[in-house]
Amino acid sequence: MYPTQGGDDKLDSVWRAYRAACPDPEPSANFMPDLWRRIDSRRNFTFSFERMVRSFVTVAAAVTIAIGVYVSLPRATPASEVNYLEALAEANALDTPDNVGPVRLELNEPGR
Amino acid sequence: MLVDFAVVRRAQQGESAAFNEIVLAYRKRTMGMISRLIARTEDVEDVAQEVFLRMYFSLDQLRAPEVFEPWLYRLTANAAYDYLRKQRRRPEFRMSDLSEQQVMMADAAAGGKAEHDRQQRKKLREAVDSLLGAVSEADRILLLMKEVEGLSLRELEKIYRVKENALKVRLFRARQRVLKAFEAAERKSESG
Repeated sequence: MYPTQGGDDKLDSVWRAYRAACPDPEPSANFMPDLWRRIDSRRNFTFSFERMVRSFVTVAAAVTIAIGVYVSLPRATPASEVNYLEALAEANALDTPDNVGPVRLELNEPGR
Repeated sequence: MLVDFAVVRRAQQGESAAFNEIVLAYRKRTMGMISRLIARTEDVEDVAQEVFLRMYFSLDQLRAPEVFEPWLYRLTANAAYDYLRKQRRRPEFRMSDLSEQQVMMADAAAGGKAEHDRQQRKKLREAVDSLLGAVSEADRILLLMKEVEGLSLRELEKIYRVKENALKVRLFRARQRVLKAFEAAERKSESG
């Protein structure tokens, strides 16, 4: 069912009555002080939050720099400069294989 | 404009006195508009303060003082919209929930013509609020700004930054929905 023309007119009169029933209210005496209190409170919150974020960023940057410096520092022990393959080759040198040493010949066998 | 463009410019530069001047000039009009948009008198001042609070922190985003009024209307509409969205989740006691007899008893208890008029206005506000339940919060605000605040389509175009034709379509649909709810309520009261 579609709304009627009469309904349209009645609705217009409802809007007018509603407008008349809701005049502009008078602001209370505390309107301005309360508003400024809210502004200050929001401003303080924003300021604290900004300060917290700034501190966090500073700490994060300091930690990043410290880690970077630590990683890039040369190691104090010489062993650390040798890589794994070099260490392996040094431990098992080809010219002195411990499993192919000289054969010992026992000429004087005891008990013979 | 209720204040000079120069005052708006000074407020944009952070001058507190200029900001105060703007608030003092616009607060009554803003509160009136809010009271009609939200249909509740008890929270009007709180929502109006929220409007000016947002204004204070976003004045630097205002492109030019010439568009200050549509911009303030936009802030008002947005604050009312946020309030209505929050309020939807909070059911409240209403005079319209009472039977006719209970209302008469409440009137008698309150006594006096002024109180009777106040109750009648309250009932009307609640009835309109109930009718506007037929549309979304966004459409409610748009419809009230057009029908009750009397803003022109040109003004609404500036506030919403939407083409006039799109606004017309949206307003027409919202009005049709409210009209249907109105006629249904009328039929109900006639039969009951």
